[in-house]
Amino acid sequence: MLEIKNLHAVVEGEGSEILKGVNLKVKSGEIHVIMGPNGSGKSTLAKVVSGHHDYEVTDGEILFEGEDLTELDPDERAHLGIFLAFQYPVEVPGVTNNTLLRESYNTIAAARGREELDPLEFDDYLEKKLALVEMKREFLERSVNTGFSGGEKKRNEIFQMAVLEPKLSLLDETDSGLDIDALRIVAEGIKQLHNEENAIVMVTHYQRMLNYIEPDFVHVMVGGKIVKSGDKSLALQLEDKGYEWLESLATVNGESE
Amino acid sequence: MGKVEIRDSVLHQLASNYKPIVGNGFPEFRKESLRELEETPFPNPKDEAWRFIDLRPLNREPFLPVNESDPAEAGDVEKYFIPESESTRLVFVNGLFQKSLSSIEGLPDGVVIGNLADHAGHSAVVKHLGRLINYEKDPFTLLNNLSFEDGSFVYLPEDSAVESPIQLLQIYTDASEDYFTAPRVLVVAEPNSRATLIEDHIGLAENRYLTIPVSEFRLYEGAHLHHVRIQRDSLSAFHFSRPIAWLSRHAEYHAYTITLGGQMTRNEPRVIQDDEEVDFTLDGLVLIDGNQVSDTHSVMDHKYSHANSHQLHKVVVKGHAHSIFNGKIFVRKDAQKIDSFQENRNLLLSVEGLVHTKPQLEIFADDVLCSHGATIGQLDPEEVFYLQSRGMTAEKAKEVLTYAFALETIENVTVESVHDLLLDEVKRYTKGISIERMTA
Repeated sequence: MLEIKNLHAVVEGEGSEILKGVNLKVKSGEIHVIMGPNGSGKSTLAKVVSGHHDYEVTDGEILFEGEDLTELDPDERAHLGIFLAFQYPVEVPGVTNNTLLRESYNTIAAARGREELDPLEFDDYLEKKLALVEMKREFLERSVNTGFSGGEKKRNEIFQMAVLEPKLSLLDETDSGLDIDALRIVAEGIKQLHNEENAIVMVTHYQRMLNYIEPDFVHVMVGGKIVKSGDKSLALQLEDKGYEWLESLATVNGESE
Repeated sequence: MGKVEIRDSVLHQLASNYKPIVGNGFPEFRKESLRELEETPFPNPKDEAWRFIDLRPLNREPFLPVNESDPAEAGDVEKYFIPESESTRLVFVNGLFQKSLSSIEGLPDGVVIGNLADHAGHSAVVKHLGRLINYEKDPFTLLNNLSFEDGSFVYLPEDSAVESPIQLLQIYTDASEDYFTAPRVLVVAEPNSRATLIEDHIGLAENRYLTIPVSEFRLYEGAHLHHVRIQRDSLSAFHFSRPIAWLSRHAEYHAYTITLGGQMTRNEPRVIQDDEEVDFTLDGLVLIDGNQVSDTHSVMDHKYSHANSHQLHKVVVKGHAHSIFNGKIFVRKDAQKIDSFQENRNLLLSVEGLVHTKPQLEIFADDVLCSHGATIGQLDPEEVFYLQSRGMTAEKAKEVLTYAFALETIENVTVESVHDLLLDEVKRYTKGISIERMTA
């Protein structure tokens, strides 16, 4: 589904390289976890794949179902079925959740050749999805993320994911800032949304989400590249030992500073 | 800017047309206004109050009185009638009262909604007309004083309530010559009365005209007035308005001004506290594009203790448009326990657009809570990205965010059809965003 080859990216206009040759392959039905210390480039990777304009790809490819994404706008990537759950979801005062979701759903549906839903059909559709993240109906009429608690914002991201049914979901530190109940709700939501037709890439600092969700692969990013990959036991190892023992791997090729 | 001699300004030229009616008809103050106008110079660009606005386009060509300008018929104006005001509607075309288009029925005892000329002898008109104006050396107000022949009059006796919003429709038609109108409004609200006024200025064509509306509001103890003011003049029009409200104890005045039209708009709303414990709002929304200029110079004058005041002035600028805001808040000596909020937020959507903003606090009391601020910004790229990542094109995302920015003021307009028509106006404006000019 997703194949990242030797991806290099810099901050637009600044030139400092954040991604320094990332390779990653994600197939349908898989869950991948990317861990790593602060500043290792893992959040940047999620943003670059979803098309954030702060970054410029200087080398390498991002293939999604065989198509190179690097020249596509963020909305075009969304239309292909890519979804980014934001680390810091943006407040959009004046636009209700309902309005945003219907606009998004129908735009993506049109692009993917699915049937658009009229407001009534859409209401029914939303009703089912609300239950998944244990949210109340009133929530739909509130402005997007405006005045939401940190936990509500993260739940809203997963709610949007549930509504839009992306093929590839990039979850950028969705688990941080959640109390234990919210973490459970979010994790259960993600688990239910996962199936053999889609894939999930989770960027995280912590192992705790993995108590709920079992990943197929765990990758460690250090210094702008993936330095080690393994199964879920790698996450436990990291919890124990930290990242220091892996940092030497980042400089093996002599590329990193 | 070249110096405009008193005799040369369009205002002073116009004044000579109205000399014959001085002394004729109800307002005794015409004579005084003529004398004052002859001594009051046209605004000098060096004056602080006129520093940022270029008045040359106003003086470029003269204006004629409406009856000499060969105006077109108004045609079908019924589409501008709001259903809530079926029997509380006053219609003026080019400043002239239209009895056949107006509709006033079934008012509570003593309530008057009508034209000034027919109520020239009403005690409230005799007592207040021209007495509430408080603009220093202002040739615009003086010219209105001198020239208005009719206007709108609303009288609310003690404890009365007009439940339907009062629609005050000012229609401006096309004409062979550039014309001048002087709309006039007087609202006198006796103790504990209440009403809602929807004032709508609509230009039917793209012609050049000058309108100088002067409005006087007197709110006695416990009176409430909601005032929505929509300005959708011709894009070649000049609109210089002076609405002023005086508030007695426990009075509430809430004004929402939406500026969409006009080549040049200069709005100078003033609210003057006349006793303790008042509550007022002076919110504005300005949506301009092309070569439009919108200038708001407001005064909120807190003279007595215990006042709540609120001013949120929101502006969106596209194209080469230019917005100016100067909001003065006075808190006079001994006016304690004042809670005043003022903010001017500007969304600058084009490289060529221009914004000048100057919130201004002058506080002479010590126990007050006043906040004021101004921001000038573009659309937040992170917000645009967020919406794009949810499938919206960059264009659509910017449209949605601009719409959301503008919405806040409109949400306070509770008359449904007016709320809806304003939403349509905002949508029309936001859809016109030209992407190549966007800087975000």
